[in-house]
Amino acid sequence: MESATTAPGERTVSHAQSQSRWRRVPTRTLLYHLLVGGFGLLMLYPILWLFASSFKGTAEIWANVRSLIPQDFTLANYTNGWRGFGGITFATFYTNSFFYAGVATLLTVLASAVVAYGFARINFVGRRIWFACMLATLMLPVQVQIIPQYIIFSELGWINTFYPLLLPRIGGQAFFIFMIMQFIRGIPKDLDEAAEMDGCGKGGIFFRIILPQITPALITAAIFSFYWTWEDFLTPLIYLNDPKLYTVSLALRSFADPSGQTDWGAIFAMSSLSLVPVFVIFVLFQRFLVEGISTTGLKG
Amino acid sequence: MRNRMSTFAVLLLVMALLLSACAPAAAPAGAPAAEGESTEAAAAEAGDGAPSELRVAWWGSQNRHDRTIAAIELFEQLHPEIKVVYEFSGWDDHWTKMTTQAAGGNLPDVMQQDYARLEEWVSRGLLMPLDAYVADGTLNFDNVSESALAGGIIDGQLYGVNLGTNSMVIVIDADKLAEAGLEAPSPDWTFADFEQLATQLHENLGVYGFTGGLSNEQLWKNLYLSLGEWIYNEDGSALGYADDQPLIDYLSMVKRMQDTGVIPTREMEVAEAGSSVEDNYIVSGDAAMTYVWSNQLVALSAAAGEGRNFLLVPMPRPEGGASTNYLKPSMFFSITSQAKNPDAAAMFIDFFTNDIEANKILMAERGVPVSSAVREALQPELDVAQQQIFNYIADIESSVSPIPPPDVAGHANVMNNVYWPLVMDPFFYGQQSLEDTVRILREQADAVLAESAAQ
Amino acid sequence: MSKALPAPAAPSPAAARAPAKRRKRGGARRTDNLMGYLFIAPWLVAFFAFTLIPIIASFVLAFTNYDVLNPNWSWVGLQNFERMFTRDPRYIKSLQATFFYAFTAIPLRLAFALAVAMLLNTHRRGVSTYRAAYYAPSIVGGSVAVAVMWREIFGADGLINAILGTDITWLGNPNTAIWTLIVLAVWQFGSPMLIFLAGLKQIPREFYEAASIDGANGWQQFWGITLPLLTPIIFFNLVMQLISGFMVFTQAFIITGGAPLDTTLFYALYLYQRAFVSLQMGYASAMAWVLLAIVGIMTALVFRSSSYWVFYGSQEEN
Repeated sequence: MESATTAPGERTVSHAQSQSRWRRVPTRTLLYHLLVGGFGLLMLYPILWLFASSFKGTAEIWANVRSLIPQDFTLANYTNGWRGFGGITFATFYTNSFFYAGVATLLTVLASAVVAYGFARINFVGRRIWFACMLATLMLPVQVQIIPQYIIFSELGWINTFYPLLLPRIGGQAFFIFMIMQFIRGIPKDLDEAAEMDGCGKGGIFFRIILPQITPALITAAIFSFYWTWEDFLTPLIYLNDPKLYTVSLALRSFADPSGQTDWGAIFAMSSLSLVPVFVIFVLFQRFLVEGISTTGLKG
Repeated sequence: MRNRMSTFAVLLLVMALLLSACAPAAAPAGAPAAEGESTEAAAAEAGDGAPSELRVAWWGSQNRHDRTIAAIELFEQLHPEIKVVYEFSGWDDHWTKMTTQAAGGNLPDVMQQDYARLEEWVSRGLLMPLDAYVADGTLNFDNVSESALAGGIIDGQLYGVNLGTNSMVIVIDADKLAEAGLEAPSPDWTFADFEQLATQLHENLGVYGFTGGLSNEQLWKNLYLSLGEWIYNEDGSALGYADDQPLIDYLSMVKRMQDTGVIPTREMEVAEAGSSVEDNYIVSGDAAMTYVWSNQLVALSAAAGEGRNFLLVPMPRPEGGASTNYLKPSMFFSITSQAKNPDAAAMFIDFFTNDIEANKILMAERGVPVSSAVREALQPELDVAQQQIFNYIADIESSVSPIPPPDVAGHANVMNNVYWPLVMDPFFYGQQSLEDTVRILREQADAVLAESAAQ
Repeated sequence: MSKALPAPAAPSPAAARAPAKRRKRGGARRTDNLMGYLFIAPWLVAFFAFTLIPIIASFVLAFTNYDVLNPNWSWVGLQNFERMFTRDPRYIKSLQATFFYAFTAIPLRLAFALAVAMLLNTHRRGVSTYRAAYYAPSIVGGSVAVAVMWREIFGADGLINAILGTDITWLGNPNTAIWTLIVLAVWQFGSPMLIFLAGLKQIPREFYEAASIDGANGWQQFWGITLPLLTPIIFFNLVMQLISGFMVFTQAFIITGGAPLDTTLFYALYLYQRAFVSLQMGYASAMAWVLLAIVGIMTALVFRSSSYWVFYGSQEEN
């Protein structure tokens, strides 16, 4: 199962072979697809269930729980859910989420790459200490930080704006900084040194040598950052008071009230819909993960 | 390197010292919130003709959000000099947000409050007493009974206005009852009657006699209430009752019912814990009886669908006890002590309580309205389930026990750290004897309460 | 915390020529310092502006009985810590639950992530679809919908019971509840998998080609090329999963709430309850710092060990 073959050999299929593709599907390929595909389907079941339930009427959701095929297919959940609250529809929420996730991702990935290069490739005084500090920030539970942070932002008058959500991102995020660092360290230093001997400064090396080579890492970081920001509800919850600024994640959570009546159909519908942008971003970007292979490695 | 390390350490230490000196200033309850450039214009009095701002916060689901916003728009039409800025969220999030805002000195003018938390917030000086507004007529309670307001009174002052009356109710599937050939119970039935009915339903029909949830703390409270006592003592420093026997009897009954399959096991209850009213066994027909809060009947009926018949009965009582029911405010509106526009806030709350048009929009979604005038006006517009609720509340109104005092400040602590993990769960999972369970409840609850009362 | 010192471990074909070590002169050193701080400046600024004060505040609060809303709070010294370890049975339970979860979920998750990443690192048709399928679960994350989904699947007549033919109340039984959360964590292995994939893609094809020419088979290529060159990424994923494993919160918060019998009362969840439900922020801060210490020590250990098994393709000096 662990055949590590990125075996280039597989890509070059001979002309004759491709012609008789249908007649000679190698057992190995068949097995592969069965195994990987089958397991993949299992992985997807809960999500398929979510989508299926979003098309069931409220009564049917609980009556006909396990089936993936709605008996009474209905779009009512989507129309009801999209309505949002008091005239503010999900169109507003989606706009806010896209804005937040988009800008945050851009800032985070760029800043993280820059900072990562500093930590990974430059030997400066205090590097270890700051690196340790950076990692340590990941280890302190956020629950005890939010109140002091809130007070800071409140004093600055930034409540009910996107500033508290976006400005901290100019420093990147520890997770991505560390991740990109590891990728950078995997790149041999030969090119760096060659450039340096040619008179290139650290900055030049970063832009011309390192950056192009860490594209897979940057893509991965972008995908994660977008998704995590999209899902984030804690910071929007405490900093965005005006419902017109609510993100999708916040809006979803405003549907559920254990003491009253909850429209589960609407929750499922809007949750399913909320998965779509993240998924699309993933599908769009993952192509670059594939192409990354040709831009790395030593040439000559 | 060493020198730099120590310099760095010294720097950190100095910063920490400086900040710890500042920390008390940063910690709130009276810290002025500098809201300088935020998009919310600082709420000014309406003196200069510009609309003054009123901030309102509540929790709920889509239904409530829609209705409340519509009611707010009506209010703004009637009061063009007031601009209402609102925020809403789900239940958990509401408290996270309010707590954070309180710490930052940033609470809204009007906030939705809960009976279980009222005392906590009042004791910390976060809510404003409303008696002055009642005295000068801004808050008009002519059509509201004393008992309806009683729930919001702490230490003789009114801190929250009841938004809807609730009471616990046993819901019986009338069809199943008929099928089993049994009679409806009388309103003053005892726990013995209750156990008997549930068992018979179970044996005759093969379904659960009752859905479970009998270990809920509400029943513990009601038990002692009906015996004329309260679970907490006056200053909230210890448990308020001396006799454990009623509790012992009650818990034995529940355990018996679990062991004989009349109600689901604790294990199953926990597995279903996060589910909503719509998921109740009575809806799916797997149980013949359940209990809910009266305003949950709407959701229950909606989920059960057309053609189902439900019978509403008051909760059973212990032998020789008074009613275990009391009229509870489902939730309140309170004015916070950090409010910038308390006058408008009072007007808003009065509007919610008394305005007929507004209540026609809200349609008793939060519970039975406290104003008799409003109740009358709504009668023709109620649907079947709501009609049942209104009737039920009207029926039991004269025979209920008086409302107990609000939960003491240490209540949440007792619930989370003692009642469930150390008492109820171990007992119902069969890990602990009844005697130990009751003893531990007393010991641990007293300890927790003593500590929180000392603060 | 010491950083990883690579000892060039597995030999790889193009690996190499040790670069001539050069000692930097004063001027070059100073430039390095300047450039270094310049590059990390964004992080440094954000750290000082937005993060440092809350961190210090929470540290100070750990020694108080601050309860967020009450203006009368005071210094209590080490009382919070003493109470945690001696008088709080739920705290010990939360430690147990968290450790158990971390040591089960993390290895499983990483193993699946690596295995599937290897499987998906081909150019067979449909691979991008599979990639999406395996990443999809991670997207669902910690939403309200996931809670409902998971309860349904593990419910009395849910999918799991149907497949296994059993009748277990997974979420109600103290022995099995935590496993539902572990399965959830493993189900969402998409993130570390993607990172492994990115790492695999970065391994130059030339290495494999050269190895094939030399007659190495798939298995040997894996051990000789893939694994060693992947170690920086494995290291990263290990550290990150360790940290996030110990801080697990959302899923337990929305699905089990710590029940039954506190078997799923993870540390961060208990901390949240203490902070926002019981309003004992001082105590919660103390808990937070103990967690930081625990995770910090474990991470430091992993870092220490990394010099024995992590191989950086560039012979990096420190």
